[in-house]
Amino acid sequence: MARELITGNGAAGYVLAQAGEANRSARGCCCGAYPITPQTEIIEYLRGFEFAKGRVVPVESEHSAMAVCIGASLGGARAFTASSANGLAYMAENVFAAGYFRLPIVMIAVNRTLGPPWNIWADQGDSLALRDAAWVQFYVESHQELVDTILMAFRIAEDSRVMLPVMVCMDGFIVSHTQMVVDLPEQQQVDAYLPTCSIPHRLNVDRPATVGGLAWPRETEHMRHEIQQAMERVPAVLEEARGEFEQVFGRRPHGVMSAEYVDEAETVVVASNTIARTVRNVIEQRRVGGEAIGLVSAKLFRPFPRDAIRAALHDKRRVAVLDRNHSPGSGGIFWQEIAATLQGCDVEVLQDYVVGLGGGDVTPDVVNRIIDDLVKRETSAEPVWEEVTA
Amino acid sequence: MIEITIHGRGGQGGVTLAKLIATAHFLKGQYAQAFGVYAAERSGAPLQAFVRIDSKEITIHNQVRTPDHLIVLDRTLISPGILVGHKPEGWILLNTSDDPLKFAEMFPGRCVASVDATSIAVEHKLGTRTVPIVNTTLLGAVGRMMDLSWQEVNDAIAVLKFGGANVSAARVAFESVQSMTLAGHAELNNPAVAANHVAGILDPDVGGPPKIRTGNWATRQPHRRRMQAPCSHACPAGNDVPGFVAAVSEGNHDEAMRILLETTPLPGVCGRVCPAPCMDACNRSEFDEPVQVRDLERFAAEKGQRPVPTMPSREERIAIVGSGPAGLSCAYQLGRLGYRVKVFDAGFEPGGLLRTGIPEYRLPHSVLDDEIDYIRQHGVEFEGEQFIDRERLLLLTREFDAIFVAAGLQQMRGLDLGSACGDAVIQGIDFLERAQEGSITCSGQRVVVVGGGNTAIDSARSALRLGAIRVTILYRRTHVEMPAIQEEIVDALEEGVELRELVLPKRAAPGKAGLTLTCSRMRLGDPDATGRRSPVPITGADAEFDIDCDLVILALGQSADLSILPEGAEVNKDAELLGLTGAPVILGGDLAKNEGTVAHAIGNGRRGALHIHRTLTGEDLFPPATEPIATREFIHTHLFDHASARHAPVVSPDRRRRSFVEVREGFAKSSSQAPAIQEAKRCFSCGMCTECDRCVEYCPEGILLHRHDGQYEFNYDYCKGCGVCASQCPRGVVYMTEL
Repeated sequence: MARELITGNGAAGYVLAQAGEANRSARGCCCGAYPITPQTEIIEYLRGFEFAKGRVVPVESEHSAMAVCIGASLGGARAFTASSANGLAYMAENVFAAGYFRLPIVMIAVNRTLGPPWNIWADQGDSLALRDAAWVQFYVESHQELVDTILMAFRIAEDSRVMLPVMVCMDGFIVSHTQMVVDLPEQQQVDAYLPTCSIPHRLNVDRPATVGGLAWPRETEHMRHEIQQAMERVPAVLEEARGEFEQVFGRRPHGVMSAEYVDEAETVVVASNTIARTVRNVIEQRRVGGEAIGLVSAKLFRPFPRDAIRAALHDKRRVAVLDRNHSPGSGGIFWQEIAATLQGCDVEVLQDYVVGLGGGDVTPDVVNRIIDDLVKRETSAEPVWEEVTA
Repeated sequence: MIEITIHGRGGQGGVTLAKLIATAHFLKGQYAQAFGVYAAERSGAPLQAFVRIDSKEITIHNQVRTPDHLIVLDRTLISPGILVGHKPEGWILLNTSDDPLKFAEMFPGRCVASVDATSIAVEHKLGTRTVPIVNTTLLGAVGRMMDLSWQEVNDAIAVLKFGGANVSAARVAFESVQSMTLAGHAELNNPAVAANHVAGILDPDVGGPPKIRTGNWATRQPHRRRMQAPCSHACPAGNDVPGFVAAVSEGNHDEAMRILLETTPLPGVCGRVCPAPCMDACNRSEFDEPVQVRDLERFAAEKGQRPVPTMPSREERIAIVGSGPAGLSCAYQLGRLGYRVKVFDAGFEPGGLLRTGIPEYRLPHSVLDDEIDYIRQHGVEFEGEQFIDRERLLLLTREFDAIFVAAGLQQMRGLDLGSACGDAVIQGIDFLERAQEGSITCSGQRVVVVGGGNTAIDSARSALRLGAIRVTILYRRTHVEMPAIQEEIVDALEEGVELRELVLPKRAAPGKAGLTLTCSRMRLGDPDATGRRSPVPITGADAEFDIDCDLVILALGQSADLSILPEGAEVNKDAELLGLTGAPVILGGDLAKNEGTVAHAIGNGRRGALHIHRTLTGEDLFPPATEPIATREFIHTHLFDHASARHAPVVSPDRRRRSFVEVREGFAKSSSQAPAIQEAKRCFSCGMCTECDRCVEYCPEGILLHRHDGQYEFNYDYCKGCGVCASQCPRGVVYMTEL
């Protein structure tokens, strides 16, 4: 284990390469790649890595980058890539194809605002627009969690009970371009943690077959239902992956989410990515002042961990959801999921706060204002646009 | 936890400095965080970078708002505004050559440190002189301020794989940074919350230039200028060469003619006989071949319609003595200005040497007559067979309001070949005049021409056409030093004229038949005052030799006959005669300045006219002082395609050597205008905007506008001074200045 001062991009590139290299005794690895700010450094790192068996294939667009991953994965290789914002939007057709093909591709999504207006900063709207593409989605709150989750992502994706692609999402710039101190694994540890990649429906020259051909409605519906069932198995597989992770690396990453101080609190704040860390700092300060406020740091978004969320929040008086994303005409996307999850529970106030869109700095002051607002509320209201109405 | 904010500009390396500081502390076992505020703007944008250092894990991901320390990379960013949120007990490190004391008013009560990182970086060649990269240098100063050892600074630089000059520059800063706590009381300035108007997507100006006045970051600014093209600068007549060539390239022959007629009444003449110094100066010469300006001038003169002439509108009467090119030019310009002009000439018809001294195979009389006729249409009168001597000149000064004397060079240089020659030796000027009259023949003769100028070549070629069986030019230097037009020399040799270089005739004596001319062989010695190597006689056995011939033509040049000048008159710098009581008298043409070409005479005549106008009216119509000249280094030749020159047709030597038919036929001879237009399109238009709009297309900021009225407008509010427009201007019009 090496402790490094490294950017999120550097750390992601480092473990993606190690994960690919770990499959060298099997079908190797492949990365279809096209650069886009703020993801480019990940691709740069991968391009510079000397794989024993594997390669980075530079292509002319994100759409083709995912097509390369699909082809490589169908060929049995461990496939991975990274993208962001407009690149993800352009890639979208093949993102769905990868999900519906049930190919265990791992993609790093560096969350960034979709334009216009032109804006390069952090916003979850790009990957959340792909929430229905049959990908498992994680939102990580720190550099260390990024590294650990990427490694677990390969375990989960390639698990025969799941066999779905996984997206690991980090805040653009705030994580991708910020240097922090991170523990990076050794190759032997990654070799020990990741079994060789085995894809049951991979192409085989001895048994020629056509994939992705016509299916009738009944067959299609059946395949979709299988995806739903695979999704439902993810939390359990994730728990196994955490356990084995701890054995190999000596630390236990977050699971589907991290519920903190919720048992003794009437009021809980739900947040994701680095905003969750800011909220944690604020809550810990307010606890010193005697206020009991809980935190749910949401991490797994697809499948949405309904059971865990319900268990943590069902009896709370007030719940705030902080969304650095927005579904126009509805509200924050995490809030929608939580509102659906808490149907029939006794939560008096479930209030959505749209914050930090377009990369706005969600400071402790902002979080304090939100908590001050929340504790005064007796009923829920429409989503509050914190920056616009402040 | 220690928090640091770095203020810098995009490209200076502020984020890397943050990483260097974080690395230095990480290597000491501390937790660290380094990041920048990234933006879409390019080099020069004010940006911030941040560092956090702590002994325990850092969980804050927000921008630093209450920094312990401030670092300013760029002197233009040093302002009281940076103090917002700064903790009074921290320090401020400034990249400046100024002493910290200089900031007593701006930062009272603060600990201020200064280091001249820019000079140190420039000395160590880090970055460029305009954008020095100061990050590694500043790490040295930061290290000293944060009590790091030199070794710890050095290690951080090594981890980020910087070496060499970066290390030594950091060391200089480590040693030279000086800090002090300034007098006064420091207070915490809390960040103010500003209520700015926020634009909506439906606002009409969303999508325009960013509302940040990025022009404030610029260190350079683009401007436009019109430079003088080297061809125009070289033209003794002062023609706007790229202007008329551009009109030809657009097929607008009338406009080409109009532009030429601004400066010369004789484009048809110059289009045939000018030695074309413009072509020697042409920036295309080194690129491929010069633009064929002389042929294009002739084409414009043959194809273009002249504007309707103006008639005299003034009372003042001007006399001009001599109707050569200087007199014609002066008369024409004065006529255009509305003066009543009368031209006196000793010859029967106007034109001077243009008529008598240039053979018709080079300049047909019809061309000259046509151009003189246009001068007449301005009310200019010609009076022939008028020999103006000193007495008549004085009479003219009482009759006219001004006199321009351009009588030319009337004294011919001779060569003493002994007394036994009779009329077998003749002056070239006289020979050419008699050839024009048809009063001389060379049938069956062996002709020797002595000299190397145009008169020599013209005489030799005329002799050939008059039936000479052999024509030999004797020249005391080599063909390289010959002042004649080089193409004419080539034409003469093609026609069969023999050139004997390094030969000087000494004496002539009657031979068995005709004359025996005894000549000295010469060699080239040191350069003389004109820069040409001077001929030196060879001594020794074969130093002399004989040539048999029937006629010797002397073409050794002419000089001014100054007997026309009244006694006691002085000539001032404007070639004005002083000391006379009547009207002002101006000397012009070769009489005043022996410059020797038609183009020089035309320029001289025009300046004489403007001088007379200024003398009589006080109005100064001289063109403004010379603009900078668009020499080769101003032209981005890589933006042009290579294209060899188109040449106008020439009659073959076989067909022309026994006839006075015009040798050069001109572009207009062809039924198609395409060759002339294509040749004109080869012009680089040096220093002149052709509205190609490359500057507009390549401006990355979209701040350069080509307005509907044809003008160009730089929006300096948003111009960052990147210089792309200037680098993409093919012809040196757009240029950058330092701010």
